[in-house]
Amino acid sequence: MAASGFLALWAWLAPGLAFLILSLVFPFRRSGKPAAWLSIVVSLGSLVGAVTAWRATVPDMARRLLWDWIPVEDGVLTAVGVLVDADATLMLILVALVSFLVQVYSLGYLADEPPASLGRYYTYQSLFAFSMMGIVLAPNFIQLFICWELVGLCSYLLIGYWYPRPEAARAAVKAFWITKAGDVFFLIGIVMLWSRTGTFDFSELFELAQGGGEALAGLGLVTFFIYLGAAGKSAQFPFHVWLPDAMEGPTPVSALIHAATMVTAGVYLLFRTSFLFQQTPDVLAAVGWIGAFTALLAATLACVQADIKRVLAYSTVSQLGYMMTAIGAGFAGAGFLHLLTHGVFKALLFLAAGAVIHAVGTNDIHAMGGLARRMPQTFIVFLVGTLSLAGIPFFAGFFSKEEILGAAWAGGLTVPFGMLVLAAFLTAFYMFRVIFIAFLGGPAPAPARHDGHGEAHAHDAPAIMALPLWILAALAMGLGIWFSISHPEGGFAPPGWLTPLAIGVAVAGIAFAWLVYGLRAISGDRIFERLSWIGEAAVERFWLDDLFALVYRRIILGVSRIVGWVDRYIVDGILNVLSAGTLTAGDRLRRIQTGQAQDYVYGIALGVLLLMVWMRWPR
Amino acid sequence: MTLQAYLTLAAMLFCIGLFGVMTRRNTIGILLGIELMLNAVNINLVAFARFLGDVSGMVFTVFTICITVAEVALGLALVILIFRIRRTAVADHLDLLKG
Amino acid sequence: MSIEPIAFWGLAVVLLASSLAVVLTRNLFHSVLYLALSLTATAGVFLSLDAEFLAAVQLLLYAGGVVTIAVFAIVVTERLVGDRITQTSRQILTGFILSGALLIGLLAIFRKSPLTVPRPAVTGDLTRAIGQSLLTSYVLPFELLGVLFLAALVGALYFARPDD
Repeated sequence: MAASGFLALWAWLAPGLAFLILSLVFPFRRSGKPAAWLSIVVSLGSLVGAVTAWRATVPDMARRLLWDWIPVEDGVLTAVGVLVDADATLMLILVALVSFLVQVYSLGYLADEPPASLGRYYTYQSLFAFSMMGIVLAPNFIQLFICWELVGLCSYLLIGYWYPRPEAARAAVKAFWITKAGDVFFLIGIVMLWSRTGTFDFSELFELAQGGGEALAGLGLVTFFIYLGAAGKSAQFPFHVWLPDAMEGPTPVSALIHAATMVTAGVYLLFRTSFLFQQTPDVLAAVGWIGAFTALLAATLACVQADIKRVLAYSTVSQLGYMMTAIGAGFAGAGFLHLLTHGVFKALLFLAAGAVIHAVGTNDIHAMGGLARRMPQTFIVFLVGTLSLAGIPFFAGFFSKEEILGAAWAGGLTVPFGMLVLAAFLTAFYMFRVIFIAFLGGPAPAPARHDGHGEAHAHDAPAIMALPLWILAALAMGLGIWFSISHPEGGFAPPGWLTPLAIGVAVAGIAFAWLVYGLRAISGDRIFERLSWIGEAAVERFWLDDLFALVYRRIILGVSRIVGWVDRYIVDGILNVLSAGTLTAGDRLRRIQTGQAQDYVYGIALGVLLLMVWMRWPR
Repeated sequence: MTLQAYLTLAAMLFCIGLFGVMTRRNTIGILLGIELMLNAVNINLVAFARFLGDVSGMVFTVFTICITVAEVALGLALVILIFRIRRTAVADHLDLLKG
Repeated sequence: MSIEPIAFWGLAVVLLASSLAVVLTRNLFHSVLYLALSLTATAGVFLSLDAEFLAAVQLLLYAGGVVTIAVFAIVVTERLVGDRITQTSRQILTGFILSGALLIGLLAIFRKSPLTVPRPAVTGDLTRAIGQSLLTSYVLPFELLGVLFLAALVGALYFARPDD
């Protein structure tokens, strides 16, 4: 058990070291491929460390390694270090694994990038791995928050990797702003919690919670603020609007950050601090309701997207909603399990989509068609991911999704349960919509973009990109089969009709998609007309983006303009007046220097007179 | 006469000299004013030496007289040099130090 | 009536009148002559203070030497400039006010200070005392004075050299 702490520490610090080397040694970074290999090798080392650490952990025991950090009058304000238990190491493995696979994949995906940009990319990847693991292993709120912000920074840097594109730059700023709004509340919540309990440390807070002390009474506002931070990062309604736009970044980035790791940081946070949330059941109920609503909303939006990455982005938002609902129902373990399986198959889906985009040259699914024939391997892995997402037995997502549905039912959130069931139907539907449109069926009618091979010349991905795909696909299937045989206990007994319901809903979704897009028996357009009011609202993304843009432009930029005016005219104005006054005074005063010696004698005599007066002044 | 009388005499002489320094246009005139001021100082010193019984005041006076003589000599030499170069006697024209 | 107050008052009047004349006369040469008179009156003041040696020194160096130098300077500059130098004064009123104020201040200080000391009796030869202390306690400034004179001499020679 002792070794697990140091192993986890090493797994965490190694990417940080790689980042430092890459960021400080310019020529190394600018050389491109060598920098990439350094980052990849280090992340492999991290993965090995994470797996070994997991093997060394003992269930229900946590290992802490702390170093004092900020000293205050009596004692230490906070410490840095690691808090290692079984769940943390599992998450660590997920982060390290997906990070490693994505970095290998990127070497193929970004092969055409100039070396300096490639080096920059891998520098950011190393920083991200370091910060994400920092969140996973954080023993207290302060370190978690610092790494939280770092992760947000990496997201900004990586979304805006192709910063010459204005859409990418805008998307990066949008992601940053919206998550920042949540982070402000998060910080307020942390400080409020500290002012009540006097500590940031998770273990100490856990003790306090167990003891049932009144120090933790009235926590509702605190936990709600902490939840807002998680909601920003994990794209809960209404903060979800940044995630689809974040697809402007390279696809491997989307796979890593916006599918498997960063967006799950919010879920992980709630999972880690669930002992706090259990004190405030009202907030938990809100978490559950918002999560379910997000799941349904995003699933609706995913049905009308033409961009394959946006479909996957909305799908991620929807699945995050699932995880939050499980937490809200009080069974954080189910949410965490889905986090792990979702990380695997969503990364798989994104990377496969990336292979498709790389080959075809466009993101538009209507410009693709019949890819299954031309890219059979990619089709297989994509299908594996889709079946996992849809929740078909013997694939990874089936068991975890069913656990969440069971948790929602057992936690008493019946309406959210219904929303989740509907969302499951839609999930299967929209994913198979993509499969039917892009992979099966005839060639596409719309012309492909110029920069790409075109759909007619699509081919399977090169080995360096295909290998991570196969590894993830194998993992998805392996997890699915393992869970089907021996599933971990969830702490509740699901009703007997749950499993048939889950499977039935998924199959129904697939069948419906087949009817609409495969057989064209039912016209998609007719359905669209029938549900036009939802459909159009969905196309407009329910006007949320516009609302945020309005708030940003009018209010925030307006305030900035006012502040800028004050700065230019008042603050600078005061300084300018002072300096002009000094110049004028100097100009006037220099007239004393007439150059006539006798005037200076006048001055001396006057001075002596004044001295005499001052000496003799009656006190 | 009392010490105060001598001191008053010296004070008046000093102020007359100061007046001369401040108002005279010609440089030599200024030097004459300085002479008067130094004279007043000497009277002061000797009066104090006499009335307080300490002879070092008179010794000091010897010194000041000698130094004044040297200073006047050089000062007038400077005045002559300036006249050679600038062709002016008026102190108001020597304003190179003007700021 | 003793002679001493009369002497003092007479000397005082002469001294002050001649100094006023120094600073107020238009003709510069006349100024120098009035200066000679005031320096001589000062020597008389020294005498009334029983400082014979100093009176002699004053007459020799000041009334003799300084006045001679000043006269030479005036003659030389007059020749340089070409016409008789007349004195004009500048800003008389301000000067008058300032020096008047200074005088009043000084007199006020004298009033408030306890300066009514009786004149002690003359003990011994003052000249001898001056000579002795000059060569024993104050021998260092005495020697430095020699150095000073040397420097002044060199400086005067340097100033006086012809331009070439």
